[in-house]
Parts: sequence; structure tokens; C-alpha cells
Amino acid sequence: MLVLKMRSVRRLLLLLALALTDTATLPAQSDSLAPSRLTTRAWLLGVGRVNRLDTYLSPLEYTGPELHVVRETMRPTRWLAGRISTQRLVVAGVAYTHSPTDDGKAWSGQIDGAWGYHYNWRPAPGLRLMAGAQAAGGLGFQYHTRNGNNPAQARADVALSASLLAVYKFRLGRWPMTARVQADAPLLGAMFTPHYGQSYYELFSLGHYDRNVRFTHPGNAPSMRWLATLDVPLGRAVVRVGYLCDIRQSDVNHLKRHAWSHALLVGYVRHFTLIRPADRRRADMIY
Amino acid sequence: MKTLVSSLTALLTALVCLTSCITEDVPDNSPAGNFEALWRTLDEHYCFFREKGEEYGLDWSAVGAEYRDAVVPGMSSEQLFEVMAAMLAELRDGHVNLSAAHDVARYGAWFDDYPANYSDSLERIYLGRSEDYAEAAGLQYRVLDDNIGYLRCESFNTTPGDGNLNEIMRRLAVCDGLIVDIRHNGGGMLTAAQKLASLFVNERTLGGYMSHKTGPGHDDFSEPEPIWIEPFEALRWQKPVAVLTNRRTYSAANSFTMFVKGLPRVAVVGDRTGGGAGMPFTSELPNGWSVRFSACPMYDRDGQCTESGVDPDLEVDITAADYARGVDTIIETARAWLRQAAADGLD
Repeated sequence: MLVLKMRSVRRLLLLLALALTDTATLPAQSDSLAPSRLTTRAWLLGVGRVNRLDTYLSPLEYTGPELHVVRETMRPTRWLAGRISTQRLVVAGVAYTHSPTDDGKAWSGQIDGAWGYHYNWRPAPGLRLMAGAQAAGGLGFQYHTRNGNNPAQARADVALSASLLAVYKFRLGRWPMTARVQADAPLLGAMFTPHYGQSYYELFSLGHYDRNVRFTHPGNAPSMRWLATLDVPLGRAVVRVGYLCDIRQSDVNHLKRHAWSHALLVGYVRHFTLIRPADRRRADMIY
Repeated sequence: MKTLVSSLTALLTALVCLTSCITEDVPDNSPAGNFEALWRTLDEHYCFFREKGEEYGLDWSAVGAEYRDAVVPGMSSEQLFEVMAAMLAELRDGHVNLSAAHDVARYGAWFDDYPANYSDSLERIYLGRSEDYAEAAGLQYRVLDDNIGYLRCESFNTTPGDGNLNEIMRRLAVCDGLIVDIRHNGGGMLTAAQKLASLFVNERTLGGYMSHKTGPGHDDFSEPEPIWIEPFEALRWQKPVAVLTNRRTYSAANSFTMFVKGLPRVAVVGDRTGGGAGMPFTSELPNGWSVRFSACPMYDRDGQCTESGVDPDLEVDITAADYARGVDTIIETARAWLRQAAADGLD
């Protein structure tokens, strides 16, 4: 049963990826990623700042430092002669924030995962454009240290997102570099939220539910994640530096939330196949 | 190719445009701004405007207009605090507080205007010395000399465990009746109140109703939904119970009274409870002051709001003569009712 569901999800994502492409251009794409089947995996650590608002807890915006961990896996599939690639992206963060006057303090944390498929074009030498769809989900919390019966807010959401990438491979002197920018935006989804003045006691102790799962779309939850990275060879390793801009917002049940994160990232990239380690200098290794 | 790049650029631009900012309009950190923030927070979130309007004519817009005139540029923090505290007192709600570094504004007429009906000196006479009574999960208890069990619950800040309650019931099982003294119990967790009430029901019992705001309007409320009291799964009390209350029986203790009043074998003895039937939420002002207010209203099983308290079945005050003699009139009244109830076979 589970296998069938997974297949259905894959087919759906594939169809969405195709829907976002100009199918008339397909015959013009002569290159193929299938022969290499290289997997690119990256781990990144990030330091930045976040601005958070949750009117269930306070009308004030809380700001402070935030730490991030980003893990990404990307590889080509065999579909459409290798023009479809798959990506798994996990972005986690934890922050300690304070109110404008520093009287209120808050802890927050979240983990977001996205699993998607992209159609690949190579419009120019070294340039790869990718468009596709993701199944995304997130869990998180925000805890205010001095609130009474509304001390914390939970976050849980799922969404179908549009995803665009531009990857450009170039040389700086004798150094092969890869620059990349990715934009992901949820288009349709659902999120958990208490109602305007509803207590968690009613929800979890009494089982009183009141529109606690709401349909989301860009009109009531305009959100987007930008991820820009540069891969630089350093000895035998490939170092990745980047910038993350993660904008999560919602306005449902008369409750407004936002978490605007900006972070600088640094980490490493590994390229490999399931059979043998790949040569990181190979030309088709440009994710 | 050109079309493709143009399409992608347009799509990216559209996605960026979709990410419009969601923010909250908050007044500035000035005396007038903080006053407006406080008035608006209560206006949009406070849950008893209708009840208090019917009870004593509260008009929050008129209150705001009256006190807004007292806010002037350059006034000190203490002066602003006084104006805000006076405005909040118009709500006549013990759950409404404004907390600054130098003071906490609070409304206390709900107990200051009435007899205390409680004395820790008298409590010491009945409970005895530390070695005379047992204590588990914040509950103090002993057997009085007429074989009446006495259980003192001064707070619902701790939820007793199943083991605690089972042992208390086992040790008091020989008693002919039980006094549950929640005078001066200022509340705590509703789950603790439900747990203690679970000792006195043998089947799933309606304890009352609870609602919440669904929007910023004064009448934006959800349909009240039932609060069920599930029977305790181990030893439960099957004999008469007297619940002692006074005007400082408040918040979760007021809810406990609401849960048990009207149950078979239960009598509420003492004074009317202080109320506090709105679960309080917390917010804050641009200057950092914290504000607490009633947010989720509760109603008894007849649908009546208990914000202004729950009446006892046997109304009695501690007399001056009894204070002087070291006698707690309310406990003695409860003991007499329990003995009579036991004699009448009310078990």
C-alpha cells in the first residue's frame, strides 16, 4: 500500500515538473544526465539572524541570532533521458530572540524538508536551468518565556511547492566553480493553527477542535526560500559557501505569523555514485 | 530559448511578488502608543465585555475615551502606569494585570470587599503540627477526631499523580465524610482541578463548558463545548463531601467548584467563590510591560458564566466569636453537614 502511495506521489511530482516546462522544447534537449547518475550531497552550517512575529504570543516582533543546518541531496534520474533530477532538501534552525525592549525572550526552532523533481535545460554552455515541484513539510515551535496560558506556538505544515534553480559552472583561473541559486515557494498546502483565542488546553486536554487545520496558498501564507551557493574546490575537497533567505509567513484565523531568516552558510559537497566514488572534476558534475 | 528564459524570469518575479510581508501594526513606544496598544489588546482579546456590560454597564470604548485624555506627552512611566491601571480596573477582573518593573496592577475588590473567611492560624489548629498531617503532591490531609477526613488544597499549581490520589483515598477510606478545603486557593492548572474532581464522579460527567474568541470582535466566540470530568480510574470517594470556599477561591479553584457543585453527595460550604472564569492569556506592550487578561470563558453545566463566582449550597461566614475561640465556623458547619449526611445514608 505504501509503495503504491509513494509511486503515486512520484508520478504527481513528475507531472507537475513537466507542467512547469515548455514541452515544445523537449526535442531540442540533446544532452543527457543518465550516463553519470552522480549524486551530489552537501552539508552546510549557517549563522544568521531571524525576525519572528506570532500574534498568538505577542504583537511585537522578536529578533535574534539563529543557527542553521542544511542538508541537500541531488541526483539525476533515468526519466526523460536523464533530464529529470531529484532533490531532497532539509533546512533546520534554532534561534534565541528577544522583544524590541529586551524584556521578552523566546526560543524557537523548526525543521523543513522538501522532496522534489526538476526538469533540466542547458540553454548555454555551463548553464543549467531547472524547474519543478516539491512536496514540502515543516515542524516548529516558538516558546515565550514569560507568557502564561499561551506560552508557546506550534508549527506544522505541508505544501506543494514550485521550485526553480539556476546552476552555472565556470572557471576562475584554473579553479572550476559552480554557482547556484534556488527559489522555492509553496503554492498549495495545509497548516495547523489554534483559532484566534483558542487555548492549547482546549485543543489537547479537552479535544475541542475549531478550524485548526487550514488550507494555505500564497494569498494567506506567502512564503519563499532562496538559497544561493558557490562551490569552490579546496585541495581534494569541494567547499560550499552560501546565503539562505527563508521567508515563512501566514495570516489565518486572524493570527499573523512570520519568520524572516537570513543566514550565511558554509559546508562541504560530496559527489558520488552508488558503485564507485566519482571524480569531482567531471564535466557533468555541476549541481 | 529566449522565450524559455523570459518565462522563467517571469515565474521567478511572480514568486517574489507573492512573498508580500505579513506584519502587525503596533503603535509606537510613546505614552500614547502604549496606551493605544493596551486598549486595543483588551478590545480585541478580552472575553467578558458582554457579561460585564450586562452586569454593570461596562462600555470599553467609553472607558478608552475617558482615560485616553489623561495620557499626555512627557508623562512619566509611573504616571502612565497609574492611568493604565485605573483603566484596567474598570474591567473588575482579577485575571487582568499589567506588569511593569516597579509594580503589578491588579484588581482586588473581588476579595477585599468581603470577609476573609479563612485564617492560617485556624488552619494550623485543624491540620495540626507538621507531623500530624500527611502531604502528597501539595495536598495536605488528615483524619479529624470525629472521623471526618480533611483535605487541604491551597493551590492547583501541581497536578497530583494517580498514585498520590489513590494513596490519599486509601488512607481516608475509613472516614465517614470528607472536607475538601479550597479556600484561598487562587487557582493554577485546570487539569489539576479536573483531576481532583475526578475522585467524586463514577461516570463521565459534564463539568461545564468552555469557549474561545474566534476574532477581534466583542461577540466573536466559538460555540461553548463541554468539559467532561472522567472518573478517576483507581479508588474514588463514595461518601459525602463538603467543599469549602471563600471569596479567594479563584480561577481553577472556581472551576473546581463549578465541576463538583450539584454532584450527588457534594455540598459547597462557605462563601461565594471569587470567580475568575476566563482562562488568562498574556500579551505585551511596545515598552515591554506585560499584560494579562481573561481570554477563554467558562460556563457551568447550565450554561451560566461563573466569572462573578459560584454560590455555596450552605452559606456561612466565620464569626468573630469563633475567630476568638479558635474555631473555624465553616469547617464546623461542614462537619455537622457531613455527620448528618452520613446519618441520613447519603453515601
